[in-house]
Amino acid sequence: MIEPEKAGAVGSSPLMRAEAGGRLVWLPLAIVIGLAAVAIIIAIAVTPSFLTVDNIRAILRNASIVGIVAVAMTPITLSGNFVSLAISQSAMLAMVSFVAMVGAGWPQPLAILVVIAGLIVVGVLQGIVVASGLNPVITTLAAGAIIYGIVSEITGGGIVRAGDYLISWGSSTLVGIPIQVLVFLIFTILVTILMSRTVTGRETMLVGANRATARISGISFTRVTIVSFAIFSIGLALAGILNGAAFNQSTARSFPNLTIDVIAALLVGGTAIQGGQGSPLRSAGGALLIAVISDMMVLNDFSTGGRLAVQGGVVVVIVVLLDQLRRRRVVGS
Amino acid sequence: VIGSIFTRIRPYALPLAVLLITWIVIATITPSFRGAGSVYAVLEGFPLVGLVALGLAVTIIAGELDLSVGSMAALAAAIAVLTSPAGLVGSVLIATLVGTALGALQGTLIGQLRINSLVFTIGTLILLRGLTYISTGNAPIMIQNIEMTDPLLDRYWIFSVSSIVALTVFMLVGLFLSYTRWGREIFAIGGARNEAIAAGVPRVRPLTSSFAISAGCASLAGALAATRGGSAAPQNYADLLLSGAAAALLGGISLYGGRGTVFNVALGVAVLTVVATGLAARGSAASLVQLVTGALLLTMIAIEFLAGRLTLRDTVFGAGLRRNSRDPTDTDD
Repeated sequence: MIEPEKAGAVGSSPLMRAEAGGRLVWLPLAIVIGLAAVAIIIAIAVTPSFLTVDNIRAILRNASIVGIVAVAMTPITLSGNFVSLAISQSAMLAMVSFVAMVGAGWPQPLAILVVIAGLIVVGVLQGIVVASGLNPVITTLAAGAIIYGIVSEITGGGIVRAGDYLISWGSSTLVGIPIQVLVFLIFTILVTILMSRTVTGRETMLVGANRATARISGISFTRVTIVSFAIFSIGLALAGILNGAAFNQSTARSFPNLTIDVIAALLVGGTAIQGGQGSPLRSAGGALLIAVISDMMVLNDFSTGGRLAVQGGVVVVIVVLLDQLRRRRVVGS
Repeated sequence: VIGSIFTRIRPYALPLAVLLITWIVIATITPSFRGAGSVYAVLEGFPLVGLVALGLAVTIIAGELDLSVGSMAALAAAIAVLTSPAGLVGSVLIATLVGTALGALQGTLIGQLRINSLVFTIGTLILLRGLTYISTGNAPIMIQNIEMTDPLLDRYWIFSVSSIVALTVFMLVGLFLSYTRWGREIFAIGGARNEAIAAGVPRVRPLTSSFAISAGCASLAGALAATRGGSAAPQNYADLLLSGAAAALLGGISLYGGRGTVFNVALGVAVLTVVATGLAARGSAASLVQLVTGALLLTMIAIEFLAGRLTLRDTVFGAGLRRNSRDPTDTDD
């Protein structure tokens, strides 16, 4: 634990840094936007079908589920609690339970509310464990295994169907915009406002930037951690409900790659894994960037392996670049 | 004398007790899980989960975490199948050496760039998975000359060739960690990184060697499994991270870095394998094994936390703490 005097002597109080570093805060975001712009220009140049309404809609739709969850997880990372490794399993839990409830004849608004409430309970339980001091990465790894085990035992590994109760609104559009994209947009705006304009958001940033200083300032790490797990759970519930409504069925194996995709989007967006730096907006940008690159590769007939290799390479290069810039800034200030 | 024996045994007391209890419980409820056959079954856990856990444990001791072990095992499995004309020993050796070299490169980069290993390995996790798909041509591949793998199927009392190889590697890694300078450096850098570096321990070498061991062990595990089964599929082994980390932590490898031995890992692997094979013998699904694994893992880190009440500042998990206590050796960049 750091002595308060030491933290002060270093002159890196997060509040001071936030003011002094104003000109540098935009840098990671600029890099992501710049890379996205370059990717889009290359995409248009080599792929004529890229800039069509249908394709842009497809990109946004592909980015939205990963984006919603990446945005939702950002407060956890900002608060210094790293990432959850139970993302796939939690979203799967939301999807299976939503489809099952609708299939059992529940009214959909009730099912949606119950799924969100249920996911918040599951998330807050993990939040309480993490807030009491247990390692978040290992706690969520274990929680994911438990959730998967329970859901598989209950469903017997089979497919859960909504049956006669069609919930096809998941594939519908509003003035040409897919419903997932709308939810992604609204959710990103709400979480961004929450993190940048409210006391809770600022407290989250401070806890992540310097837990010792935050505690001396009377900010509760426990409360911040629990609130951020609750926000995360809402995003997971939305992702599960949206996919449930789009596919009308689900299994315990749904969302196989979501955990890795979400963490990749968050890191590529420029949110620091150590906490205190980043924003939900950046995570949304990261999800969009990865979706643009993937779409470009699909249009150019890349194989699964080629797509994964390029995606992994892009993630490695961007996180290393962002990390080097961040380090230079901390030493420079 | 009794006191010193007690001090030596103490780190193993808890996992040993857990092993005895799970073994008795499983043997009671599963009549087929008794005698030499059960010991054989438990030792068969070492070639796959055991080796991965061993490698992960070395990175945890170094205060880091290698998330890419599952992809590394899958890639090595593909390489072993592709190089099978080189013979059984040749193909396993080639796959293990390629994996070890990639791991050494990964560790060197993490050390040189001073990047958080969670961030870096999430990128390489995707990248290596992509390379696996590319090398297998996006589909499962088979060994043409299937008779060459026959030696791996023989059983000698409670051993198989695979488990003898795995136990030998456990012994070698144990000797390396305890009795060589490079091995002790891994403990030093994981226990108190800044103090170790100030005392003259190199920053990069322990990371290079620990990630080389982790990738090498994962590769050997993948190569042995692939040659034994005669095939490799590009999507395999994604769950190895959970079982490997669970085994290492169940055995008492400290998440706080710098503590633990190969005996801890061996005990953890034994616990996990007893649970897995015992439940499988009763006809339970793999999902129940995951459920029990998750619950055991959560219990174990809770016990370690309550017993230790330590901070994670010198490990990869040192959020919001490490960055603000200026690293005394960090002046050169």
